[in-house]
Amino acid sequence: MEIAKEIEAGLGSTNPDPQQSSAPQPSSTAIYTLDSPILKTLYSWPDLEPTRYAWYEQQFLDAPMRRDILHRAVVFEADASRQGTASTKWRYDVHGSNRKLYAQKGTGRARVRDKKSPIRRGGGVAFGPKPRDFSTELQRKVYYQAFKIALSYRHRKGELTVLDNRIALPEDTGARFLNNVFEANSWGKANGRSLLVTSTLESQDPEIFEEMHEIGEHGLLKDIEDVDVKDLLETGRVVIERTALEALLGKHLKLLSGPEREAERRRIVQYS
Amino acid sequence: MPPRLPLRLPQLRSSPLDTLASIATIPSFLLPFLHVQSRSASILSSLSDTPGAYNKRIRRGRGPASGKGGKSGRGSDGQKQHGKVPAGFNGGQTPEHIVHGKYGFTNLHATEMSPINLNRIQSWIDQKRLDPSQPITLLELVRSRALHGIKDGVKLLGDGAAELKTPIHVVVSKASQSAIAAVEALGGTVTTRFYTPQAIRRIRLRQMHPFISLRWDPQALNKPALAAVGGQTLEERVSGVGYEYRLPDPTSRKDLEYYRDEKNRGYLSHTVKEGEGPSLYFKPPISEEELKVLKKKSASGKAGQAAKAREENKLW
Repeated sequence: MEIAKEIEAGLGSTNPDPQQSSAPQPSSTAIYTLDSPILKTLYSWPDLEPTRYAWYEQQFLDAPMRRDILHRAVVFEADASRQGTASTKWRYDVHGSNRKLYAQKGTGRARVRDKKSPIRRGGGVAFGPKPRDFSTELQRKVYYQAFKIALSYRHRKGELTVLDNRIALPEDTGARFLNNVFEANSWGKANGRSLLVTSTLESQDPEIFEEMHEIGEHGLLKDIEDVDVKDLLETGRVVIERTALEALLGKHLKLLSGPEREAERRRIVQYS
Repeated sequence: MPPRLPLRLPQLRSSPLDTLASIATIPSFLLPFLHVQSRSASILSSLSDTPGAYNKRIRRGRGPASGKGGKSGRGSDGQKQHGKVPAGFNGGQTPEHIVHGKYGFTNLHATEMSPINLNRIQSWIDQKRLDPSQPITLLELVRSRALHGIKDGVKLLGDGAAELKTPIHVVVSKASQSAIAAVEALGGTVTTRFYTPQAIRRIRLRQMHPFISLRWDPQALNKPALAAVGGQTLEERVSGVGYEYRLPDPTSRKDLEYYRDEKNRGYLSHTVKEGEGPSLYFKPPISEEELKVLKKKSASGKAGQAAKAREENKLW
């Protein structure tokens, strides 16, 4: 692939082999020029062998850190996930008579209305909660940018692993197999848990999601429609299929149309 | 809180997952001075919006230094300081709504068009948010956020007509004369067609074609840019061009007249016969031959038949 060669040429004398990346390099600025794309090694599932390279445009996988955008996205998600079903009976909802309990004057007691008053036993709740919608709004462009920022942050911390193929269970395996994968790669609870992201929807293949749920203490599996910004930031690392990563980085594509969308989609990533 | 150790050596996690360990390019004696976070704590606890995004709550009646101490921003004395004054209460003077009574009304049948101007369309094309090679319908406009929600239809208006540089093919509910002139001067086309609020909802849900309906006739319209989409045969249009619902056509006289009018580039303008106008209110003038036939009929004494013929000629 010509682009790949160009990029390699642009990287100067750097050895693209990740196993030897700790070897001394002549100049760090040569690698980190403004336009140089982000090099990622793709790994195979389930043995995590390096298979090939991918180059991501900097603005997608090395987006500058914006804590404010991440915060807005996380709060937006939290608000949207509130059930808002808390419900109480106010004095007008409580079943009972509206009769005045006793005369206004002359009894020597405090004046009263009906027995449903909030200050009486069996009365209603004074301005208690009623079902309501807590969801707030966030501009779509801001929300989509938050995904890029979260993934870029993970990449910079070395906590983003990209898989070349689909996350799937081999024949006749289940939670135990997944547990072994987590153990072999130090992904489990002792290492801060891990998030697996797949582009297979849960409705299409519920089995692997159920099996993963069984070893929930070590990590969780989410599909691209279910995963949100908070998920990407929560666990010790993120292991993501390359198609899922493309989908999350390209969430803004739905705002574009026609050939522009296609051009933008091609800009995100190049594979070797 | 346990003491933080900013000078702690970062753990060089040389996992095979790191592709380019950029840290390795930095001389190792500098490492203690570079603040590299090495704890595996989640970033979630350290997120916050920019300080300017938060407003400090005004605490009223909490002393003179707060600026809202003494009167708490409510002024001096009276009912307004202590509670509520009824809406429309005029201090005891006869309220306005008693003196002048109710007037005016809200027209529930009025249609509210969402305006879209030519300079906005051109700006959207420049930003690559609209594709001028495809027909621009209300679906494209609302998907590209050129319009934020559509009420009862879309009207194309001619603001910034001089800024329009691209030939465009627009299908909207209504169009102003200046907009039509500007678009057609560049070789584009404007077609107006009938939409109902329900149809607009369903178009946005991809349950309806954005402009092809039963009476939409691509052959008669003769606009190649719009014909490419399909709906050439009546069978195709009856089946809804692959959509769940069919787009409705107008039934009221007012709507029919608008879309029969060539001046408005209505999609039913081809149904207007030679020598007739778009109006359906007046009977079209009768040609001499037709008049002769009618006279013959009445002369033959069949008054009843003539009356029937007249009945048939009535459009409304």
